[in-house]
Parts: sequence; C-alpha cells; structure tokens
Amino acid sequence: MTATSLTAPTKGTTVSVVELQNVSRWYGNVVAVNDISMSLQPGVTGLLGPNGAGKTTVLHMMAGFLSPSRGSVTIDGSPTWRNPGIYRHLGLVAEREAVHGFLTAREFVTACAKMQKLPDPAAAAARALAMVEMTDAQDRRIETFSKGMRQRTRVAGALVHEPRVLLLDEPFNGMDPRQRMHMMQLLHTLGEQGHTILFSSHILEEVEQLSGLVQVIVAGRLAASGDYRRIRRLMTNRPHVFAVQSSDDRRLAVALIAEKSVSGVEIETTGLTVRASDYGSFTRALPRIALGEGIRLRKLLPSDESLESVFSYLLEA
Amino acid sequence: MSEAGVIHDIGYQRYDGPRLGRGAVLAALYQHGLRASFGLGRPAKSKIFPWMVAGIVLLVAVIDAGVRARTGIVLFDYYQFDDTLTWLIIFFVAIIAPELVSRDMRSGVLPLYFSRPVRAADYVGAKAAALVTAVWLLLGVPQLIMFLSAAFTTKTGMRGVWHEAGNLIPGWGYSLLWAVIFASLSLLIASLTGKRAFAAGGIVAVFLMSTPVVGVLNVLPSTTAHNLSGLVSPMTLVNGIGIWLRGKVDMGLDIGQLGPVYGIEAFCLVSACLLLLLARYRKVASL
Amino acid sequence: MTIIATQALTKTYGGGVTALADLTVDVDAGVIGLVGANGAGKSTFIKIMLGLIAPSSGEVRVFGLDPVAQTDQVRARVGYMPENDCLPPDVSASEFVTHLGRLSGLPKTAARERASEALRHVGLYEERYRQIGGYSTGMKQRVKLAQALVHDPDLLLLDEPTNGLDPAGRDAMLTLVHRIGNEFGISVVVCSHLLGEVERICDSLVAIEGGRLLRADRISAMTTASDVLAVEVSEGTDELAVALAARGLPVSHDGRLLLVPLDSEDAYDTVLQAVAELDLPLHRLDQRRHRVAELFTTKETADV
Repeated sequence: MTATSLTAPTKGTTVSVVELQNVSRWYGNVVAVNDISMSLQPGVTGLLGPNGAGKTTVLHMMAGFLSPSRGSVTIDGSPTWRNPGIYRHLGLVAEREAVHGFLTAREFVTACAKMQKLPDPAAAAARALAMVEMTDAQDRRIETFSKGMRQRTRVAGALVHEPRVLLLDEPFNGMDPRQRMHMMQLLHTLGEQGHTILFSSHILEEVEQLSGLVQVIVAGRLAASGDYRRIRRLMTNRPHVFAVQSSDDRRLAVALIAEKSVSGVEIETTGLTVRASDYGSFTRALPRIALGEGIRLRKLLPSDESLESVFSYLLEA
Repeated sequence: MSEAGVIHDIGYQRYDGPRLGRGAVLAALYQHGLRASFGLGRPAKSKIFPWMVAGIVLLVAVIDAGVRARTGIVLFDYYQFDDTLTWLIIFFVAIIAPELVSRDMRSGVLPLYFSRPVRAADYVGAKAAALVTAVWLLLGVPQLIMFLSAAFTTKTGMRGVWHEAGNLIPGWGYSLLWAVIFASLSLLIASLTGKRAFAAGGIVAVFLMSTPVVGVLNVLPSTTAHNLSGLVSPMTLVNGIGIWLRGKVDMGLDIGQLGPVYGIEAFCLVSACLLLLLARYRKVASL
Repeated sequence: MTIIATQALTKTYGGGVTALADLTVDVDAGVIGLVGANGAGKSTFIKIMLGLIAPSSGEVRVFGLDPVAQTDQVRARVGYMPENDCLPPDVSASEFVTHLGRLSGLPKTAARERASEALRHVGLYEERYRQIGGYSTGMKQRVKLAQALVHDPDLLLLDEPTNGLDPAGRDAMLTLVHRIGNEFGISVVVCSHLLGEVERICDSLVAIEGGRLLRADRISAMTTASDVLAVEVSEGTDELAVALAARGLPVSHDGRLLLVPLDSEDAYDTVLQAVAELDLPLHRLDQRRHRVAELFTTKETADV
C-alpha cells in the first residue's frame, strides 16, 4: 500500500504527549472517571474496558469536550478544556457522528479543512483522502458509501489538518474484515510515523494485532497500562497456563510435576495443561526437561496470554 | 420415593405441541392491540389517558342515565351522545393509534413480527380491528348504560324495553361507523411516522384543518356546496351518513338528497386507508 | 444433512443493483459462519431465506421447503435474531417473548412456558420481569436470542450476535451459541465480521463477496496445518535465529516469531536443542495453521 504520508513530526519538535493527571469526572453521584493518570506516547494505544467503564468520557475529555471535575488533561502541557487552539493538533473520530449525506467525500473533507482555516483546503483535502485511499470515490455522495468508506471519510476529515494526536472511539464498529484490515494498516502507518493515536475498542483481537499497548479502564479506574504481554507477566499471583503436546505426555507430566516452577498439570486427550507459577523458570526448564527425558516437544502454546485473558483477569481484580 | 439421587433433565426441550394457524396468530395480535389501547400489559403511565377518556364518557352517560331516571328528561339520544363526544374521540385515536402503530415502527420490532407467520394483511387487519373495537367500546358501553337506565325506568313494560333496544342497536351502529372511519384514518396517519408526538399532532391536524373548509363551503351561495360540505371533514361525513340513514336533520348539516354520496365516500375513504396501510406494511415487511 | 440449498440464486433490485449473483451453495447442519463485506449480499440472503423477498431467479430451499411458496412452514422452523435494535423499551422480556411465541403459533400456555424456558437458557433470570428499556446491551442481545428460540426452530439465523458487546459479553454469547449448536441440536447460521469468532465456534463457513460465493468449506479444511513451525522465545530471539541457521534450518522472522520449515519431525528436536543450549525461555512452539482471514487478504481495492 503506497500511502501519501502526512508530515512526520520534524526532529527537534516535541512529539505530542497527551497527559492525564489525577483526572476524575463525576456527574452528581455517578463517578464516570476516578483518579486516572496516564501518559500517551507516540504510536498506537488501545483503550479498553467494559461497557460503561468511562472510555468515551476519557476520550471526550482529551478532545476538550468535557472538563475534568478534578485533575488536568493536557496535550503538550496545554489544557484541552476551553482551548480551541488544541484542535490544530488534535483530530477526533467520535463513535456516533452524523455526516451530511448529500456532501461528497471531497466536499466534506474540504469543509473540515476550511474549518481548520488551512491555507490550501483543497490540497489538504486531497492529501487526506489519498491517505485513506478514498481518492477514487471522493466525488460520490457520502450517503452512497458503505460503512467502511464512511468511516474512512471521517478519518480523512479528522486528519486533514495533520494533527499530531488522533482519537478514535470504536472506529471498527460495523466494519467487515477487509475494511478493518485497511483501517488497521492506516493507523499502524500513522503510528509508525510518530503520531499519537488512541482508539477504543471492544474487539480485542484487533487491538492485539494493531498494537500491544493498552490502557485498560474498569469502572472508571485505570486498571493497567502498557504492553499487555508485560502486564500479564506482572500478574505473578496467577500461574501462567500453557497447552503442551509431546511424544509422551504422561511421562512429561511426571517430570514436570517434579519441577518447582510448575504448580499443576492436567492430562487430557488433547495434551497437557500446565500451570506455571514462575514463568521465567518454567520456560527455561521445559526444553531441558523434555530433552533430558528424550521426549519430543511438539507444541507449546500459552493459553492465557491473549489480550482477552489479560483483560478478563484485570476485570476480576 | 427412592433413595437413589436423581438429576432431573432440565436441558433444552423440543416442542411437540400443537402449532396453531393464522387465525390464532391474528387473534393474538388483535388481543394484544386491544389491550394496548387501554394500557393493559403496559406501564401505569399508558393507562392514564385511555381510562381518563373512558371515565369521562362513562360519566356523561351516567349523568344522562341519572337525569333520565329521576326526571324522565332525555338529555341526548344515542346519536347525539356520539356527536357530542366527537373531539374526545379524536383525542383518543390521536393518542392511541400511534401507540398501536408508531411505537412498533420506532422500536424496530417489525422484523421480528414479519419473520414469523404474520403477513402485512394480518398486522394491519388486527391493529385496525383492535382500534375499532376500542373506540366502539368507548362509545358503546356508555350507550349501554343509557339504555339500561331507560329500560329500567320505562313506563311501558317490556314493550318499552324492546323499543329502547330498537334505539340502542342503531345507536351502536352509529358508534361503529365513527369507530371505523376514525380508526382507519388515524392508523394511516400514525403509520407514517415512528414518533408518537408527530403522529398525534398529525392526526389532530387532519381533523382540525378540515373543519374550516366545511364552514367555507357552507357559506358559499350554492346549495350543492352546502350539501357537499360535509364530505370534507370526517366528523361531518359521519354526521351526514347518520342523517341520511335516519332521515333526520341534526347539528345544522344539510345534505339534501346527497346522502348516498356520503355513504360512498365513507366506504371509499375507509377502503383507501386500509389499502394504503397494507401497501405501506408490505413494503416495510420486505425491508 | 443439507439444511439450506441454493441453485444459481440471483437477486437484482431495480436500478441495476445486483445483491446476489448466481449463488450455488449447500449448507450442512451444524454451526455455519456467514461472512462477507457489508453490502455483499448477506442480508439479502437472509431475507430470501425468511421469505421476505423473492429471488429474481434461481432456487432456494430451506429444509427442502421453498420460502416463497411455503413461507409459513419455513418461518415456523426458523428463528431470526436481527442485528439492529428491535426491542420495545416498555415491556418486560418475559411478556415480549411470550407475545412473540404466540405470534409464531404457539397456544397461550405453551407460549408462556417456552418463553420462560428460553429466557432461562439464555441466562436471564429475575431481570426478565423488568422492562427491556433498562437492560444492558448484553441482556438485550439475550432477549433477541430468546425470542428466536421460543418456537423451537430447527435453524437459527443470527445477524452479528456479538454486536456492541464487551469482551465478557461476547465470550458469553459465543459460548451460548456454541451450546445451542451442539447441545440443543439446532443448526445456527452466524453472520459475523469477526473471523476469530467464526473460527472459534463454527464448523463450516460460507463467504460471500459482491453477491457471489467466495468460498464454502468446513472450517477444519480452511485451518489446516501448514508445514511451518513457529517458535517464540521471550528473549534472545536473534541468537536463536543464528543458532538455528547454524544447524541447517533456514529462519524467517515474523514479528516476535521465528519461522522454520517443517520438512521432517527432526525440526522439533533441532529447535528444542538450540533453545536448551542457549538456555532461552521458550514461550511458544507451534505448527502454524492457516487462518480464515487469509481468504480476504488477496484483494486490494479502494472500494472497500
């Protein structure tokens, strides 16, 4: 995919950091966001959480639509609330947004460019549309578009002023596999170029593929941040679960049980399920043990390292 | 009772019982519509309006019945009763027709209906029948009360009762006429939008805006215009038919010899409304 | 047992829009995934199966019945769970599902009982007496599923059943669908955009593209093992790559994974020896399988 690249942040300028410090937001007695501190770096980060956890509230505060009841939300140090200047550097693709169907894609993105007071709206629009691969369809009316095309048009509208920060609320909702793949590639490219991108999603397999970096919000609190695989390793109170297949499962099971880092082994028809209380020791010990017993190891697969498992563990905490 | 433990099977059971035909499905839709008209099976809020209307009509009937019993004065007969309560009935259908029809559209429940053995004709027929029944009950039950009062206070024994019954039956027929015309018209208007408020407003507007036209036609110098003026508004349409069928003149509406025209128009109006409803739901069903 | 059979099924709308073109496919009992782009023809296919629209040409049979000619019989055996919001807010779940049961032809008492059972099977307990307006998305999806089950269909058509659900809700719904398909003995067609889900719960797959059949196959046929071995170590990936190459195994990188050809079973041992020798933490060792997503990577188009 050859994509016209947006200007990557030039060397020497501060890359955009979106920062929340001790942010809370309440509505009467309902605390939507409870004392969240996070710092978003360039690259793609996934914002996860159950329904109603506060993700949209956080995104809206970052976009300056809501003020925090307490704490500060800043982009490069400037607060987002009541600061129209930040929209120069920020693009938001909200979850539900009506776009005037009678406009063509080009008209819509050009209008966004004009609203941003860009010096050459038409050129900026053309660049943005090329970025989302909508150049061929740009003169068709938006109401004739599929959901994926509509979404891409809105992303173009949010990118037209080349913001350093892009926020997306459930961007893959309703997209079919191809549309999703295209959008993921687009976001990945943007992230590689140094833009700071935050997107919220329920579909963990996408988040896994797009970036390992997550911010997990549960009931208004920030449950975890960072690379989800590292997060998993931090959960030392939960034994890592592995699926193992070998040329002699039972003998391997006996040998493994003798190992200190193994807290449990289950034998099933499909193979072994091994619980390791010490990830580091177990992963080093297993090849040694198998070789020592003369057993061929055919499969080793971590069962609970997926983002899905990590996420469900975080919810239970 | 055996001493061994038993785990009872409460897994998924298949259904081998009878599956009833279209008639039963129609009956279920009809019942549901009739109950919904009076707010039964729905939260308390939706009971307030219909029962308030019912209360008012019953009160009027009771007053008439009481006065009649005490003093023998007939405040109004069955026809006048219906005519007097016109606007109340308009408000009733303006609120209830959207409840029956607009609500379903708004909540998007129609795909669930039409993916079952329910056809557009069944849906329209059942809803229309339900609303007609509701309006008819609203007018007919008070008429019955008036009848009972007359029957119990008659001074001519069984003959008096029969005579009174002979008045009641056409009176019920008149109520049915109101019901059919108002129900079909209001259902058609309500089916155009999913927003109940718009539908209610639309229904009232249609009834409201047609009245001045009647007035205008009545002021014109032509007698034919006078005779035809009643065709324009549903209320005067029903009046006109009533006058035609009874041969009496009421409410200042002069229809001359054009009674049958009123009859034909009413028939065409109701048919048109129902057919349009059918067409609309046939289109919706395939969406 | 073939439950759905189409022969050159075509549907064109006025204005030249072709929703389905010459679709010929036989669908066997089980849990079937129906995938395809938005606007590819999935909803048209479902509507034809329910007898809501008639095909322009070609044939379709559901349980051997023609949905156009024998509509009521087909609908009695099929349950439909739409994608969009379709629940009235001011009615309780138990009342609503009972009502729909009656509309499917069940007598009143049977409708009530089956509604109660259906709600239990989908996991709605005392919530069922509350108004639907107050339900969470997950609960609403369950109500939709319950109304599709109430009349004991032989086939369920589920359109995006996990739409709007958070991961826990999605997991619960998928488990439920799997149970229905395998324990209740009801065939299920699941429309989904999420290929991971489809791989997880479906036995077979029908992929439609631009109104035409892209592929119809069993999932097991599409996820066969390839002759590539994937190895992942938590640290020392580069050292391991060098060591494997030194032992005669060509290595390619895929993110954190190292891929080696699986020409013979010895590859397993070679890898294990190399890892043990370097004392590296072995995180994953797995023969790569094909994925359903591969169906969709071949086409590049801006009209997506």
